[in-house]
Amino acid sequence: MTSAMEFVLRPWSIAVYTWREGIRKKTLVGFLILSLLVIFGSSFLGTFLDATYTGDADVDMDLKLVKDICVTTISIFGILITIFISASVVPNEVENKVIYTVLSKPVSRLQYLFGKFMGVQLIVIINLLLMGGLFFIALYLRQNVLPTLLLWSILLTYFEFLIVSSFTFAISCTSTSPVLPTISGLFVYLTGNLTEYLNDVSQRSQQSGEIIDNIIGYIAQGLYITLPNLQNFSLKTQILNSQPNDPPTDVLITQLMIYGVVNAAVGFALAFWIFRRKEL
Amino acid sequence: MSVVIETEGLSKVYEGALKGQDVHALTDLSLSINEGEIFGYLGPNGSGKTTTIKLLLGLIFPTSGKMKILGREDISSAEVKKQIGYLPEGAYYPDFLRGEEILYFYGRLYGLSGADLSQRVDKVIEEVGMTHARNRLLRGYSKGMRQRIGLAQALISDPQILILDEPTTGLDPIARKEIRDILARLRDRGKSLLISSHELLEVELISDRVGILYEGKLQTLGTINELLSDRDLNIEIAGASDEILSRLATKGLLKDDQVGDRVRLRVNEGISSYDALAMLKEENLTLLSVAPRRETLEDLFVRVVGDAQSKRSEN
Repeated sequence: MTSAMEFVLRPWSIAVYTWREGIRKKTLVGFLILSLLVIFGSSFLGTFLDATYTGDADVDMDLKLVKDICVTTISIFGILITIFISASVVPNEVENKVIYTVLSKPVSRLQYLFGKFMGVQLIVIINLLLMGGLFFIALYLRQNVLPTLLLWSILLTYFEFLIVSSFTFAISCTSTSPVLPTISGLFVYLTGNLTEYLNDVSQRSQQSGEIIDNIIGYIAQGLYITLPNLQNFSLKTQILNSQPNDPPTDVLITQLMIYGVVNAAVGFALAFWIFRRKEL
Repeated sequence: MSVVIETEGLSKVYEGALKGQDVHALTDLSLSINEGEIFGYLGPNGSGKTTTIKLLLGLIFPTSGKMKILGREDISSAEVKKQIGYLPEGAYYPDFLRGEEILYFYGRLYGLSGADLSQRVDKVIEEVGMTHARNRLLRGYSKGMRQRIGLAQALISDPQILILDEPTTGLDPIARKEIRDILARLRDRGKSLLISSHELLEVELISDRVGILYEGKLQTLGTINELLSDRDLNIEIAGASDEILSRLATKGLLKDDQVGDRVRLRVNEGISSYDALAMLKEENLTLLSVAPRRETLEDLFVRVVGDAQSKRSEN
């Protein structure tokens, strides 16, 4: 086997191992089953809410409700799974000493970290495909039109998760337990979805001239500048209001994907910078 | 005989949050391990054994000093690591994998694949006596079986050096004997083994040389024969009064232990067994047994650690 192949295959072996181990985590499987149940159950929600259909408007409302529940479920459970797995893969391996057996082999720290990160992404992608796939089928069966808009939404949601995952993963490299990185991951996700609000707070606080307001303004501005903007990754409004096979509008898909990859690269570089001299 | 592992003035200090809280985990360790030998690395908990191993494996970084493995200073390079097999203490292997799947995973990390990997897996599984359970899930393995699979993962690349942290701890006597036999066979095949252990009897039985560490400092180093060369004579008698015992003590026959009427005496160096027996005959004592006694590794360990503790308290 050539050195180049060895260099690629080692992280890949670690990624597959991480994926196989990850999909057996009870918390993760619990989240996934719950989300699938919600998505599946939401298809019958209209029947429970109103047994007597009176016209197209009711059907539209019912469909909107189903879409709303499913998109929200995918976002909430998807991000919980992403943060949970990104926060735990490295600290858990340090705790159970598997990392010692791996790093004592001819595996560099970069290869190890890259393998773990790829494994996390495999888990995130497969979970997203399962949840999105079920939603896709449910929508198709209701409307008899291929909901291609949903596919774009799932794609962008993945890139949003990729960003959160990479920063959570980086923080997990500083920690011996998954608690701190999990909290940090939630913080990144929540504030990343509030960046416009942070910008607004920053601008308003400068107007009052009070010291406390100024400090809050600087903090909000600092967070606005440093944290990734995740608000543009959501196609929820379009999914709710457009036809299922409409193309996405007012969204720069390619730019968002590049933005996601660049941020993920920064997160991964940060993880490696922390991990390269970490004492295990 | 070439040296496979060499350290020179190796030290590791963990910095504390405040001044004066630094932990000196390892201090000025100079050590060499030769090709084809089993080196027993001993010390109480927290003495620096695992720190040394982690330094050698590049898992932590030295504060000062040098390390060489197979003559190379770049100990974290893939070429060096290919020649090292490591079994950590109490490592976890995932329950959802089969015995052979674990080995395929670790084998791939060494760059093995295809027929080469399959052959190596077959060979190490046979070597550790796990052929019958290779397709069983790890959750069905006993502690001894897990340890053997752990040993197999360390052997998967046929490394020149094996570093084993507590390889027999927690195992039953039969499993311990089996692991010991495997290690002896590896030594016979020219492998070099560094074994860190609390199981002093195990280490004594298989090691060629031992080093005893206490509070991060190497206290003694040598072959088993060099270190355990003192030979005593143990004599068991009955019916000795305190007066007789103190008389014997002045002549060099010291009371070692007493249970009821039975007294075990230790004969000081320089007194022949015949002289000792003559002294007992003179006192008209009942002789129960006479046996030569060699100092065990446990005795040496207790003595060395005890001396180190005394020196520390004097300072």
